[in-house]
Amino acid sequence: MTMLSRVAERLYWKARYLERAEDIARLVGSYHLLIMDIPRGAELGWDVLLRILDAEPQFYSRYRTASEQNIVKFLVSDTDNPGSVVSSVRSARENVRTTREVLPEETWEQVNELHLFVKEAADRSIGRRNRQAFLDEVVSRCQMINGMLQTTLSRDHAYRFTRLGHLIERCDMTTRVVDVGVMELLERDSRFAAIDPLVWSSLLQSLSALGAYRRTVGPLLDGTSVAEFVLKQGDHPRSVLYCLRGMRDAVKALSNNDDVMRHIERMRRKLGRLRAEQLEPTEFHRYIDDFQLLINQLHVLIGDTWFHPET
Amino acid sequence: MNNHWSSYQPGSFYDELITGRGSPRTAARGAINLFQQLDADEMAARREAAELAIREMGISFTVYTEGGNIDRAWPFDIIPRVISAKQWKKVSRGLMQRSRALNCFIDDIYNKQRILAEGIVPADIVLESSNYKPQCQGMSPRYGVWAHICGSDLVRNADGRFYVLEDNLRVPSGVSYMVENREITKRVLPELFENYSILPVDDYPSQLYRTLASLSPRDRKRPCIVVLTPGIYNSAYFEHAFLAHGMGAELVEGPDLIVGDDDCVYMRTVDGPMRVDVVYRRIDEDFMDPEAFREDSVLGVPGLMRAWKAGKVAIANAPGSGVADDKVVYAYVPEMIRYYLGEKPLIDSVPTYLCMDPKDRTYVLNNLDKLVVKPANESGGYGIMVGPHASAATRRRFAGLIEKNPRNYIAQPTLSLSTAPTYCDGGIEPRHLDLRPFILQGKDSWVTPGGLTRVALVKGSLVVNSSQGGGSKDTWIVEGKA
Repeated sequence: MTMLSRVAERLYWKARYLERAEDIARLVGSYHLLIMDIPRGAELGWDVLLRILDAEPQFYSRYRTASEQNIVKFLVSDTDNPGSVVSSVRSARENVRTTREVLPEETWEQVNELHLFVKEAADRSIGRRNRQAFLDEVVSRCQMINGMLQTTLSRDHAYRFTRLGHLIERCDMTTRVVDVGVMELLERDSRFAAIDPLVWSSLLQSLSALGAYRRTVGPLLDGTSVAEFVLKQGDHPRSVLYCLRGMRDAVKALSNNDDVMRHIERMRRKLGRLRAEQLEPTEFHRYIDDFQLLINQLHVLIGDTWFHPET
Repeated sequence: MNNHWSSYQPGSFYDELITGRGSPRTAARGAINLFQQLDADEMAARREAAELAIREMGISFTVYTEGGNIDRAWPFDIIPRVISAKQWKKVSRGLMQRSRALNCFIDDIYNKQRILAEGIVPADIVLESSNYKPQCQGMSPRYGVWAHICGSDLVRNADGRFYVLEDNLRVPSGVSYMVENREITKRVLPELFENYSILPVDDYPSQLYRTLASLSPRDRKRPCIVVLTPGIYNSAYFEHAFLAHGMGAELVEGPDLIVGDDDCVYMRTVDGPMRVDVVYRRIDEDFMDPEAFREDSVLGVPGLMRAWKAGKVAIANAPGSGVADDKVVYAYVPEMIRYYLGEKPLIDSVPTYLCMDPKDRTYVLNNLDKLVVKPANESGGYGIMVGPHASAATRRRFAGLIEKNPRNYIAQPTLSLSTAPTYCDGGIEPRHLDLRPFILQGKDSWVTPGGLTRVALVKGSLVVNSSQGGGSKDTWIVEGKA
C-alpha cells in the first residue's frame, strides 16, 4: 500500500512539530531548574536558549530585553513565534487534521486535547510558579501521544514518516544543545569551574539522559564525555547516533531511498570519527556546525525524494 | 405509559409513524411501544448518550459564517423514521427508473440531441443553461451512464404518496450521515433492534466501490480509485474522508494528481507516480480542471478533462451531468421516462410551473401566496420563497425577481410535508421532514434502503437543510410485521 506524498509530508511535519514542542518544553524546563542552582554573579543568561534555537534575530525584532520573562514567553506562549510550544502544537494539530485517515483514531483526539490544554494554560505558565508543572504536562502529553503511536500504528509508511520526522527533529535539537554547552563552558573563565557539572547535568537532563549517563559513564560529569555521550551513545534514544540508526531503519523500507541512505551513512561515519577530547572548543563548535548542515541537507533530500520529487 | 405520546397530535399532515386516528402505523408499532415505556428522564438520558456518541465518533459538518468556518456536531433526533419494505420497494423501483431516464437524457444531450430535435424538451432551456457543458459534447461514457451517484430529494404529501422534489446529479452529499445515524441508534437504543428486521445501510461504501470499480478503463482486479476533495474547509469534508476510508481509497486533493503526456492521471505517492483509474469527484465541475473550465481554480487538476475524453480515466459523476440537475429540466422528467424508456413514471414529480412560460408565469405571479418559488440553479435551500409563510414584502421582491429573470425561477404548489414524532425540548412533537435516498448506477444499479431523513427542527418550518437549522433521523426500512 503506497501513500500520497502530501500525506507523507504532513505526517513528517506532524512528528517534527510534536517533537519540537516536547524538546522546547524540556529545554526550558531544565534551564529553569538549573538557574535556581547557580550562585549569583555566575548566571548564565536566558539568552543561551535563543542561541540554541538560532532565534536571536527573531526575538530581538519584537522584544527589547532578553529577560527571563520575555524569553520564556517567546519560547512557550508566543503565537507569533512559529517555533514556540504553542505554535508547534498548533501546527502538529493542523497536520493531524488532514491525515486522520491513516492514523489511529485516538491520535486526533489526543493532539486536539494537547492543543486545547496548551492554548488555555500557556499564558499563565510564564511565571516561575506555574512554569514547571505546565512544561512537565506538555512533555508527558507528547510522550503519551508517541507511546500511543508506538503501540498502535501499523509499521507501514505512516509509521516510517512519523519516525523520520521525530528523529530528525530530535537529532537537530540534541546537536544544538551540545553546541551551546560547548560554547558556554569550554570557553568559560576557570573561576566558575565549580558550576560546570551543574550545567552539564542540566544539559543531560534536558535530554532525559542524566540517569543513563551515570549508569554508563559514571557519576562524575565532564564536558567532553557528556558531549560524546549524547552524540554517540547509540543505546540512548535521544542520542544522535540512535536517531541516525532509527532513520536508516525507517528509510530502508521506502522506495528510491539510495540518496537518503547514502547521506545518513555519511552522517554516521562523521559521527564515528569524532574524538571530542582531542578537539579545541572552536574546532568542536565547527564540527557541530558542519553536522547541523548535514541535518539540513538530509531534510531537503527527504523532501526532494518523497514529498515533491521532479515528475 | 408515557404521556408524551398520548398528547401527540399529527394534525392535518401525513405522519410517518402515527395514523390520523392516533394509533401507531403497523411498521412503527414496535418502536413506538418501546418509546412509550421510556419516561422523561430516560428519554433525556438517551438523547445525551446520542450526543456523546456523535462527539466521540467525530461526526460533524462545517458551517460557513462570517467569523470563519465552524465544525458543528451533527444534529440528530433519536426517534427513527420507519417505512415498510413493501412500500419502499415501489419507491426504489421508481427511483431506478428515474435515474435510468435521466442518464439517457444526459447521454442524448451530449450526443444526438434527439429529444430536442423532436421538440419534447425545448432546446434553448437545455443548451442555454449554465449546467450544459459544450466541452462534453460527443462523449459517451461506459454503459451510457453519466450520473453514477444521484441523491434525490423525496417528500411525502398529505395524500401519503412520495414525490420527487429534485434530483441532485452533481455532487450530492449526505450519505455518510445516513450510515452514521444507524450507528448512533445501535449504540443508544439497542433494544429497538430486538424485534425488528431492519435493512442494513452500512454497506453503502462497498456498493459505491462496486459501482466505481465497474467504470475502470483498465481491466484490473482492484482498480485504483480516488476520492477528489476540495479539502478540509469544504462542508462535506467529513463525508469525503468517510467514503475514502470505507472504500479503502485514497482521499486526494487537486495538487495530488497530475495528468501525464500520455493523458493518464497519476497520483503523487512516495513510491512515485501511480496511475489512477477512477476519480470519484466531490468537487464542482467548474473547479475540476482549470484547462477546461474555470482557469482560476486552484482546487482542480489541469488536464483531467483531457484524460477523461481520451478514455484514460473514469470520472463520477461525469462532467456535464448537471445538465439534468436543473429545476426547469426537472419539469420534463416524466416526459423523458416515457420518451426513452417507453414506461409510465413509477414515482411522482411535483407539478412545476415554469416562469419562462408566459401562461405559467401569470399563474405564478397571481398565486405567490400559495406557491413555493425556487431559483432554477441553487442548492442548499438558498433563495427559496415559501409563499404561505412569506411576508408581503418578500413576495413583492420575488415577483420582481421573476419578472426580471423568468428562466431562473420555477414554482410548485406548497406540499404539506409529512411529519414524524420528534423529541424536542423534553416533549414529543411533530416536525416536517424529507428523505434523500441515493441511487447508484454503473454496470448495475442500486438504491439505498431508505436514505437520509432530514427534519426541520423548528416548529412548523419546512426547511430541512443542516446549514439552516435542520437535523436528521435514522431511517428504517423494515420487513414483515413488527
